[in-house]
Amino acid sequence: MSTAALDQLVKAARLDPDHVFSAPWEARAFAIALKLSDAGVFSWDEFRARLIAEVGASDRVHERDGTSDHGEYYEHFLRALERLLAEKGIVSS
Amino acid sequence: MSENHHDTSESGPAARVKALETLLAEKGLLDPAAVDSVVDTYETKVGPRNGARVVAKAWTDPEYRARLLKDATAAVQELGYAGPEGGHLVAIENSERIHNLVVCTLCSCYPWPVLGLPPVWYKSFAYRSRAVSDPRGVLRDFGTELPNDVEIRVWDSSAEIRYLVIPERPAGTEGMSADELAEIVTRDSMVGVTKIAAPARRGSKKKSATE
Repeated sequence: MSTAALDQLVKAARLDPDHVFSAPWEARAFAIALKLSDAGVFSWDEFRARLIAEVGASDRVHERDGTSDHGEYYEHFLRALERLLAEKGIVSS
Repeated sequence: MSENHHDTSESGPAARVKALETLLAEKGLLDPAAVDSVVDTYETKVGPRNGARVVAKAWTDPEYRARLLKDATAAVQELGYAGPEGGHLVAIENSERIHNLVVCTLCSCYPWPVLGLPPVWYKSFAYRSRAVSDPRGVLRDFGTELPNDVEIRVWDSSAEIRYLVIPERPAGTEGMSADELAEIVTRDSMVGVTKIAAPARRGSKKKSATE
């Protein structure tokens, strides 16, 4: 991780200040998780625990390799959602 | 690391989300129209303009400021801002001597009702890993140079507590209305990575009631 990496993200943020999703699938993954949590399929805390696990695993790789991320947060988000739904027996893993 | 040899575009994230959505709809667990509506809400309705109105009101209404500092969750509710990830909101105020910076080191906890969803950099490893260990360096990356005698306080968000920074009201804004002030309050200043610059010219912006 380097200052350059953060710099790049900061520049990206400035170019598109209200940018929160990089692709339509990210917005849909977020909305699916929120609706399922609203509907009681799982609690947001249960989801957050899986998300923290996914993000943490990725952080450890970045720490070990000295690399930076490329805005892959929603990939972790999606994997956390898939894992939780598999644990609940709703989708097959 | 071995690559999954089935890793084609069909197993890319967009396709996986689509497959998930289809399956959940078939099982009656998800209404695709409701998904559209959430996307629209978070792309267009919930965002940092809400927080900007809160800050502008705190700057112009001392009693509101006191309520905000005492119980931010209740104070933002007065303006109609509530919803998921908004519970246990804490407002922290910048001053000439103290600068507050917010991060979520573990994932992406963020006060949705007042700031919307977090920007890409907030969720990045670079920001999360450096905000605590080198806040001054992070601020410098955002172009924020603080005098050495300014104390930087870093707040790590969690599932339990979310933070909203009340930035310093810039000089030269005396006499501006709350609506006008709300227009100069930026998202980044409410996370604490930047300060608000004094407006270059007074009177060039007309009062606006738009989003």
